This record gives sequence, C-alpha cells and structure tokens, in this order.
Amino acid sequence: MEELQDSSIHHMTAKLIAAIKNTKCYEPIYNELQRLVASPSVDKNDMRNTLEDAIKAAGLETEIRNMIFNLVRSRLKKIEVPDARLTPKSSQSDPLSYLKRAGVLWDRRVRKSLNAMCGELKVPLHGQPRISADREDFIAKWNELSNYNMDLANYRPVYAPKDLLEVLLSLKGPSRPNENNDQIPQWEFSHIALPVKNLFELRTHYADLLRNDPYGVHDLAVQCQRILDSKLAPMCQQYLKKGATPAPYRGALWAAVLDSKLHDFDIENWQKLRNSVWTTDHIVDKLVFKDIQLTASNDDQYFVFEDVLYQVLLCFSRDTEIANCVEYETFPVKGKTYEGPPSGVVPFHGICMFAAPFCYLFDSPVSLYYTFRAFYIRYCHRLTTINTHPQGIVSLCLLFEKLLQTYEPQLWSHFRELQIQPLRVVFKWLMRGFSGHLPPDQLLVLWDLILGFDSLEILPLFAIIILSFRKDSIMQVSSLDSIEAILADLSSIKVLPLVQLALSRD
Amino acid sequence: MQGYVRVYSRNADGTSGGGAGDGEGTIVYYGCAGPIGEWTQRIASLQPTIDQSVATMYGRLPGANNGNSNAAGGAGVASSHERIKIGFCTDLDKSVLVNNFEKRGWNQVNGDDDWHFYWAGVQTCRNIFSVDSGYRMHDNQMINHFPNHYELSRKDLLVKNIKRYRKDLERDGNPLAEKTESNNSSGTRYLYLDFVPTTFVLPADYNMFVEEYRKFPLSTWIMKPCGKSQGAGIFLINKLSKLKKWSREAKGPFHPQIAKESYVISRYIDNPLLIGGKKFDLRLYVLVASFRPLKAYLFKLGFCRFCTVKYDTSVTELDNMYVHLTNVSVQKHGGEYNTLHGGKWSVQNLALYLEGTRGKEVTDRLFGAISWLIVHSLRAVAPVMASDRHCFECYGYDIIIDNALKPWLVEVNASPSLTSTTVNDRILKYKLIDNILSVVLPPDGVPDVRWNKVPTADAMGNFELLIDEELAAQDEAQSNSNTSSHHAKSSRMSSRWK
Repeated sequence: MEELQDSSIHHMTAKLIAAIKNTKCYEPIYNELQRLVASPSVDKNDMRNTLEDAIKAAGLETEIRNMIFNLVRSRLKKIEVPDARLTPKSSQSDPLSYLKRAGVLWDRRVRKSLNAMCGELKVPLHGQPRISADREDFIAKWNELSNYNMDLANYRPVYAPKDLLEVLLSLKGPSRPNENNDQIPQWEFSHIALPVKNLFELRTHYADLLRNDPYGVHDLAVQCQRILDSKLAPMCQQYLKKGATPAPYRGALWAAVLDSKLHDFDIENWQKLRNSVWTTDHIVDKLVFKDIQLTASNDDQYFVFEDVLYQVLLCFSRDTEIANCVEYETFPVKGKTYEGPPSGVVPFHGICMFAAPFCYLFDSPVSLYYTFRAFYIRYCHRLTTINTHPQGIVSLCLLFEKLLQTYEPQLWSHFRELQIQPLRVVFKWLMRGFSGHLPPDQLLVLWDLILGFDSLEILPLFAIIILSFRKDSIMQVSSLDSIEAILADLSSIKVLPLVQLALSRD
Repeated sequence: MQGYVRVYSRNADGTSGGGAGDGEGTIVYYGCAGPIGEWTQRIASLQPTIDQSVATMYGRLPGANNGNSNAAGGAGVASSHERIKIGFCTDLDKSVLVNNFEKRGWNQVNGDDDWHFYWAGVQTCRNIFSVDSGYRMHDNQMINHFPNHYELSRKDLLVKNIKRYRKDLERDGNPLAEKTESNNSSGTRYLYLDFVPTTFVLPADYNMFVEEYRKFPLSTWIMKPCGKSQGAGIFLINKLSKLKKWSREAKGPFHPQIAKESYVISRYIDNPLLIGGKKFDLRLYVLVASFRPLKAYLFKLGFCRFCTVKYDTSVTELDNMYVHLTNVSVQKHGGEYNTLHGGKWSVQNLALYLEGTRGKEVTDRLFGAISWLIVHSLRAVAPVMASDRHCFECYGYDIIIDNALKPWLVEVNASPSLTSTTVNDRILKYKLIDNILSVVLPPDGVPDVRWNKVPTADAMGNFELLIDEELAAQDEAQSNSNTSSHHAKSSRMSSRWK
C-alpha cells in the first residue's frame, strides 16, 4: 500500500513537473534558481540545505507553492469530469451523450451565426488590416473609445441569454419517457442525469460561512494584510470565504487566488494584444462595441468605466491563450465546423458584464485584464456553453430547479400552476453571475464567495434565496411580467446575511 | 447619537493622517462649544433685523433644554393634534413632493388658506417673510427656506461669508484659522479652511484679481454670474486680455444685462479627479434644520455628475462647455447624454471604487474632508442667517474633487432640482423628500416649532448627522462631569457613507 502511495506521489510529481515546465513562469523561476545557485549564500558542500534556505529567502518557495496549488486545483477539477476524449467508444451508452452533443451543436450554431454575419456584411472572419487613417484615429482615441465613431446599425449581438435558455429548455434526454408529455409541462430539468448537491451538501460545502469569527472589523483588515504579505494563494482563498473582504484588499486577494499577478511577460503580451487591435479590424470589435453600448454604457453602476471596458474586451477578443486555457468538451458530431474569433469566445449580449465589476478593483486596464481573464477562464465560460461540468450552466439550472422544488414547494407549484418556467425569471442572473443585477458592492461579495469556495453553485443558491425572500409578493401575482417586476430591483438585497440565513435555517 | 462629533475627530488638512490633527480638531471644537451662547449673542448684534420672530431666537441658549417640554408635551400634543388635518401647499408641481405629502395623508391647500407645511419657491418665501406682507406664522407651520438663504447660495455672498468667518477665527486666535506657506511661495493659505477656490467678485475686486492673476499667469479662471444657476452664463478665461475684451463688450450697448450683473471669478480646478477619463462633480444634499444652534444632516445618497465628453484642457477645448461643466442642465444638450443613467453615478459607488483602487485611508480622509467643508461653510453663514424656527432648508452642495483627492466647494444651491432625469433619480429624490420630512417633523408628524429637533435614529433615514451644536453642548456638559468618557467619544468615527 505504502509502495503504491509512494509511486503515486512520484507519478504526481512527475506530472506536475512536466506541467510546470509548460507554464510561462518556468523560465523566470529557472533563471532565478540558477542565479541563486551561483550566489555566495549557497554552499556547494551543503547544497541541499543552503539552496533551500536561499530559495525561501528569495520568496521563490511561495511562488512554487502557489504554482503547485493552482496546478493541482485545475488538475483535480479535471478529474471530476469524465473525459469524453478518453472514452470515445462508450459515447453511445453515455447517458449524457445527448448533452455533449447539444453542447457541440450550440457552439457550432453560435459560430455559424457569426460566420453568417460576416457573409452578410461582406467582411472577412479573420479581420482585415485597418486602413492607416482609421488606425491613427483608433490609436489616438484608444483611451476614449467612446468617442470613436463607427456605424454599428447592422450589427447585433450574436446571441442573448434568452437564446441559450431556449436551447436549454428544449434539451431532451433519451431517458425521458414520451408518454408523460401530456401531463407534465415540458420544462423540467430533473430528467437530466447530472449529479447536483442538495441543501445538506451545500451546507457542508459552505460551512465556513457560518463559522463565527472571533475577529472584529478592525482586525479583519490587519489579518488580511498579513495574509497578503504571506502571498500564499490557499490562505487568500480561505480569507475570501468570510464574505467580508475589505474593499481595499479585494483586488490583491483575487489576483492571488486567480494567480493573475502581473509578470513582465504579461505586460508585453498586453501590448501585443493592443497592437493587434490597433492594426487589424475584426468583426468581433464591432460586436464588442455594440455590446458595451447596449449594456455597460447604459448601466448607472458601470457607465463611467465604458472606455476601460472597450480596451479590456477588445484585447480579450484577440487573446489566443484563452482558447488554449478553456477546456471545451468535445463530442464527435458530424457536420461542418466553423471558425471563431482568435480568443474562441464569440461575444454575446452582456459579455462585458463579466468584466465590468473588475473596474471597481483595478485602476489600470492591464491588471484588470489579467484578473478578469483568469476569472473568465476559471468560471464564466461555463455559464455560456452547454456542458456536463458540475458547475456548468446545465448543472446550475438543475440545481436551481431541484432546490426550488424541494425547499420552496409552494413557489414551485405556484409557478407550475401559472405554466411559467421558474428558470425563465432567474436565468439572466445565472448566466451573468448576477453582474448588472446586484449593486456592485454586493456583487463583489457574491463573487468573493465564488472564488473563496471555488464554485459557481452559489449562483443558483442565491437565486433561490431571492425568490424565497420575495415569496410573499410572488405568490400574490399571476403573470410572468409581474413576477419579473417583483424581481427587477435587487438594490436592497444584502448578500452575506441572506446566504447565512438560508444556510443556517432548518 | 455619536455622529455629531465625527467632523471634529478627523483631520482636515488632507495631508497627514496622524493624531496631531485629530487632537487639534477636538480641542477647537470643544473650545467653541462652550461659549456658544455668548457667540450667538455677539453674532446677533451684527445681524440686521429681518423678522420679528427671529429676535426671539437670539437669546435662546442652545444648552437650554427644551427637550423636556417636548417629552412632557409629546403625548398631549399628539392627542390634541388628532383632529388637525394637515394642509400642505407647494409652488412646485413635482410628483416627488406631492406623492410624499399625500402619502402622509396631507391635504393640498392654497397659500391663502391655513397651511401647515409650505414647499415654496424662494420668491414666495421672500414674500411671506417680507415686512410688507405682515404674515405671521403660527407654531404649527413650517416652510422649506430660510428667508436669507442667499447668504449661502449666492456665489459672491458665500465667498464673502467664508472670508469673514476665517478672518473672525483668525482674530480670535482660533487654531482652526492656522495658516501655512503656500507651496508656490506667493502667499499663505489656510491650513484647515482652504476649501473654496480663490474667488473675487467682479467688477468690485477687479484690482485684487489682477494682482492674483499676475502671481499665477498660467492658471485658468472661471467666470460665473452671481445670480444664475444651472451653468448659465459661465465661461473660462486664461488670458487677461480676454477678460478685458469681455468687460468692454459688456459695457457696450448690446449687453445691457451683463453690465448690471456682478460676476465671480474663481481659480478653475484644472486638476480634477478623473474617473474613466471623465470629469465629474459631486451633488450632495445637506439638510439644515436650524442655524442657531446649527443642526445639519448629510444625505448619504448623493451622486457624481459626469461630463459626457473626455476631459481635455487644451486651449481649443476651453470653449467646449460640455468638457468643463457637469451640470445636468448643460450636459442634457450634449449629443451623448444618456437618458438611462443621466451621467449620474452614486456616491456609494465612488466610495467603493476609491477604496478598491486607492485604499481606505485616503477614501475616509476624502469623505471626512467633505463633511468638514460642509460644516464650516454652514458655520460661516450661521451668524448672518435668520434662524427662523419655522424654517428648514435642503441645500444642493456642488463639490469638485481634485486629483490629490481634496474636495473643493464650488457652490451651494438653495433650491436643488427635484426634477427626475432617470428612474433611479426619481427613487433617490423621493427618498430625499421623505427623509427630509421625517427629520424636520416631530415624531407625531405635525409641524411644531416648539419641538427640540432631535430626530430619532429611525427618522434619520438616509441622513446622517453632520453637526448638532445643541447636542454637542450637552455632550460637553456631560463630559465635563465625566472627563474619562470624553476622549473615547470624540475619537469615535461615525458610520461610513454606505
């Protein structure tokens, strides 16, 4: 047994080392290590101990620890998902194959739609060089792109939350008996065979939220500063679980947890992305402009950051690393494949709302960019693709429905009597992670919890909490419009006390 | 009720966060609070008699406890008022006003009828208080302006009053009036009371202005007509010749109206704090329930007003007023005015953004400095204000923050707009009126000037206490008998702006 464990550790170590060698951080760390070895503090007669001390003294140890923490985290997550690529033969018997198929088809449909738009407007999908006058104008207005004029009348968002919702609601599994169709309204998710947590499991997962903290508010800031000084990612993550992050430390904590602190090569990369935006004119630019104009520019919480958001999302659209980092599920489906934008992310209605909250954390677009990008790669993409991931939008919708059914049966039957899919009223919250719906100070608390507990499951849970909180009003109305009116204004919602209350209630 | 000490327990100079400033502020404060009765009396002698009923205020000591009469009379008043149907009267047909009055079950009546609550325009107010009208208000009437609010709201008088306030403090050797060498060695500035940009009244102070102008030939100046609001008649000047040209033209036959009007010329804040590259100013609402003793409240739901155009100081943009003026009435005419948010961003969001990007300490210092500025602008006018017991007033404070996070008082509006530009604006203004009513009215909701004007924590709503000299004096009296609690109280910060 011990032997087995030992070899498994060796196996893991070998894997990790291989993974580390593939990261961008490897070279600078390796160079630093070489410098340390050659430094006088390392004694060749006691290499092991002196080098270890030197590594610790140089702060390299923390960096390596964080790197391993992040690698293990992303690797462990991967193991949770049965990898379709490893078992292509079993795809016929896989109960979730229809879901994976739907995912591929959805992605294809979105890309096809982008391609069709290119065809219609007679612009190449790969973009074209900007003519020099336009380039000069663009560069001159880089810091005030809201003043950059262009005709966007023919551009429209490729898809909106509603479109994805319709696809999700029409998902049909093979296991679903057809004869029941007459009796049961066709909008339940429960037939989908994805495992989701129940309230008890959620309580266990979020147990740290209910723990009484012996520290006062003043101590929180001191404690937070100490944790930041330690630079240890797991400790930063643990701190976010309190849901009481002092605003001045949030940016640094998020960057530590998301491993998005700026390196020199990041800044170089940002400049490259910027140059790419300056020199080529891409259809996604128009879509980015259109999206910001339709959402953030009209939002009284975020309109002041309009110009920062243009920069961030334009560079985002050019970033090919995103396509490499996001693990898309694959499934063999016959048919044509379509190309997407360089980042692999087709802008949809509201994509800029994923980036907007970061404007309250970072002044410089570069720092904002990398933390937002890391957050997108880790979480947001799961909200706009159909996938079998336990934190994918399908699982979150399922979790929402199961929680509603089990814990708010009255509301559930109310919705059912009205023939309204409960998901309809909350889907936009889920798909945007509540951004643009909650006021920023509360939204940031909610996102603290996403990061702290490393899970998007807080989104459906919080959607239930809001429904439950406004239950009395909802029970009194009988149309979708009235229900939406009741849920339209979330400005009085306080995240932490409501979540704590919901989790502690018996 | 801890809130009222906050202003004094923080640092005003905006440079050091240390304890020295704190201590000083506290000492000064208690120094003033003691002989406040004597103070008001001295001030009273300077005061031209405006209204008979005002005179009854002067002798009143803030320490004199009229809380007793209220507490004792509370029940009796409530029962005797049960029959009273409250009549309100308003010159402004604004739904945020009428909805609020009607929510309280009040009846709309005419100005000639027996009203209890009048939301009046300044002209009506002036008429009611004028000697000619012979109107005398009874104890159950309230009105939303002080008769001579223009001491605060007229640009020239505000500056005059602040200058006099500083001189008076200086003459009394008050440490608040401490001066420091200016960083460009061309004079001195007040260490704690330097919150209004250098301003002169034209044509009266023309020579003084020229002298100042020569010291800073590179700065830009902003000209504003004294009596106008909402950005009317404002322009920028960066060359003396332009001012001369303007003055020549003004004297000409084509602009007879300009010749009569006086203007103020102020140093233009050319280093404003920019957010998202855009300039903004703050609109904060300040409720004054009484000037002597000073009782003032700050509405926490203020907002930032953004320019629609990027900030640009180049000479070519000097005439583009959309760049420089943040007034909604100006911005509305700009091509890019957005009707969904109206260029308005909440002060809470500003605080969140500043804390997140600049840190808590500087953010706290900024908001502390804003409270400080408001309190001292009010103290500057308190002696000359006719502190009629029937009056309260809600002021719109316009404040610009520079890139060193120092707030500057630009002007004070005695009739801030109650027009709603967006949905959120409407909610905000509705709350504002509702909260004003619950602060200025006694708990039973019937206007009564005999009430001691100490609202409960609940009644404050979104207001927070900036200063209550009466409570401060009581606190002072208490802490004299119990010196140990003194320091603990004064060093307590009130809640943040959230």
